Amino acid sequence: MAGRKGDGLAEASVEPYEHLLELDGLKVYFDTQDGVVKAVDGVSYKLNAGETIGVVGESGSGKSVTAMSIMGLVPMPPGRVQGGDVRFKGRSLLQMKEPELRAIRGNHIAMIFQDPLSSLNPVYRIGKQVGEGLMIHQGYSKKQALARAVELLDMVGIPNPAERARDYPHQFSGGMRQRAMIAMALACEPEVLIADEPTTALDVTIQAQILELMQGIQKEHGTAIIMITHDLGVVADMADRILVMYAGCPVEYGTTNQIFYGPTHPYTWGLMRSIPKRTLGDKKELTPIQGNPPSLIDLPPGCAFAPRCPYAKERCSAEKPVMQEVEEGHFSSCLFSGEQGFLQNSPIFDEDWGQRGGRAGGAADGGAAGGCGAGGAAGAAGGCGAGAAGGGRHD
Amino acid sequence: MGRYIVKRVLQFIPVFIGVTIILFAMRSIVPGDPVKMIAGERALAPTVYEKIVQDNHLDQPLIVQYGYYLAGLLHGDLGHSYQKGQDVLTIFANKFPYTARLALCAILVEIIIGLSAGIVSAIKKYSLVDILVTLSTSVLVSMPVFWLGMLLQYAFGIWLKKLTGGALSLPISGAGGPISNYPTILHYILPAITLASVSMAFTARIMRSQLLEVMNADYIRTAFAKGLSKSAVIVKHALKNAMIPVITFIGIDFGTMMSGAILTETVFSWPGIGREIYLAIIQRDWPIVMGGVVLIVIVVMLINLLIDLSYALFDPRIRYGKKKAQ
Repeated sequence: MAGRKGDGLAEASVEPYEHLLELDGLKVYFDTQDGVVKAVDGVSYKLNAGETIGVVGESGSGKSVTAMSIMGLVPMPPGRVQGGDVRFKGRSLLQMKEPELRAIRGNHIAMIFQDPLSSLNPVYRIGKQVGEGLMIHQGYSKKQALARAVELLDMVGIPNPAERARDYPHQFSGGMRQRAMIAMALACEPEVLIADEPTTALDVTIQAQILELMQGIQKEHGTAIIMITHDLGVVADMADRILVMYAGCPVEYGTTNQIFYGPTHPYTWGLMRSIPKRTLGDKKELTPIQGNPPSLIDLPPGCAFAPRCPYAKERCSAEKPVMQEVEEGHFSSCLFSGEQGFLQNSPIFDEDWGQRGGRAGGAADGGAAGGCGAGGAAGAAGGCGAGAAGGGRHD
Repeated sequence: MGRYIVKRVLQFIPVFIGVTIILFAMRSIVPGDPVKMIAGERALAPTVYEKIVQDNHLDQPLIVQYGYYLAGLLHGDLGHSYQKGQDVLTIFANKFPYTARLALCAILVEIIIGLSAGIVSAIKKYSLVDILVTLSTSVLVSMPVFWLGMLLQYAFGIWLKKLTGGALSLPISGAGGPISNYPTILHYILPAITLASVSMAFTARIMRSQLLEVMNADYIRTAFAKGLSKSAVIVKHALKNAMIPVITFIGIDFGTMMSGAILTETVFSWPGIGREIYLAIIQRDWPIVMGGVVLIVIVVMLINLLIDLSYALFDPRIRYGKKKAQ
């Protein structure tokens, strides 16, 4: 796929590279009147073709800023890269000049956004918007781009694509808009697809369809996906590896199985426990994480999660934890995560998770039910892995 | 679309009736003997006096007078000027080309200078240019139009007399004279700038704030994410969206200008509708005042309708009289 016309990455010029996309201790800060906002503070991960990484965290945890820095779309100023690097095919994206970056944006790395209505330009026809990238990057004529846009709309499952390509975004339903966004992102067959909360604004049943569509595309084209979400259910179903972020910092990183079956960070643990449980007749209340995320300007000196952490000890508010490997490929930034007996039995082993797996998995969350397969992992959890997926999608 | 237009035109009727009632009431309330306004202050023979009263239906109840007036309007009869003895419609027909041409020039100034100033200051936010634009628009907005007109006349007609020949204001006295010989294109410059000044400043400000707002929109982020350059994003994606409110403003403004600019036309002795109305007010020439206002109302209503229809051109979400999209 490399070496397309008119891009800066002709095959010959590309050095052999280890990973398709690699974030190495990326730090993105924003200078504001109130002080420096450390939006992303030392995020690292690697992504290869055909893989999916899930980036999970609550609002303001730096997920989206991380993604925007990969695309080079963080407004600077007020933003600035304080440190670290983002390498695509071995080349630093942060060192690239704007024209070079433009040749990558939308061409090699594409992005879909949370709210498909506001992310589509209201005054242009869908077909034109879907085909626009082809005209910029691959020298298509207007007519060719439109023809290809119709094919793409067909591929993402829009009925009567030739006719619907002439529609404006407001004439599409929510799910169709997101399909159109996906078609737009896939137009140039990017190697990396960043999906920033792609299903958050959609109905539950539509969410499932969109996730299925993305999985199908990934299988067919070997696209690497970065799935940003606050919804553990979505990543349980899709991701190979999961990065949990809190207050701009990575707190836990591992394979989906490791994160779901052996979370070693109290925050991950809390996230899982705050997923609504829908056991019939069960009047148990939710177990939310108490308190609010800290201000990114004035982070506590120690662990950022310490003030909200039920397991916090004195040490936590004094010592800044770093990511340490707790088992092969599984990293956690909790000071105690390596200790014997700390956070045993993942919340997904809770009784009601298992019960719900059997019932809810099939009910409302048709798409998450795809998780029955993918989450073969979670399958061991008693019942069906989709339980995890299904529950998460409800928040 | 057709149904929408018919509906809108039907809505003109109550507005029209309301305006004429107010005008008519004003004429009746204002003190003074209408016969004297018509015939002047000299003494009249009782028979002549009586004839004037009868010709103008002044002996009838007000409601009947209004009925006569409305019937005349519907026949296209705006009445006769007290002072000039001319048909009001003819008077305005002679004046309208001057007003219209001045309005066109002013609107061009407003569009070219206002829009580009707004766009540049939005793109170069907080730059020197932006500060200058913000500053000068503030000054323009707060400066009375007639004063700006006089300043310009003073600067170009008196200070720079050697350069300009001092001929940049119109040598008009009254309504007479072979008006086809002037004004020349030079005569339009100062009045057009004066007439455009306030709305030009508003246009620049609206354009700037709209463009800044649109540049924060999600679809602009999408456009950048596609790999478009900044200029392509602005030209292709931002401007069309940002223009919608600006076009409304310019359109309404054009409507106002087309119906005559009383201050600008008076300051520059411009032989247009506005000055004619101003003179009529001073001379209490009611038929001209009333006819002028009626004409203005019609022009403004028509232009507003055209603006509303033009939205559909710019914003596909607006479609008149069609079935709603699924």
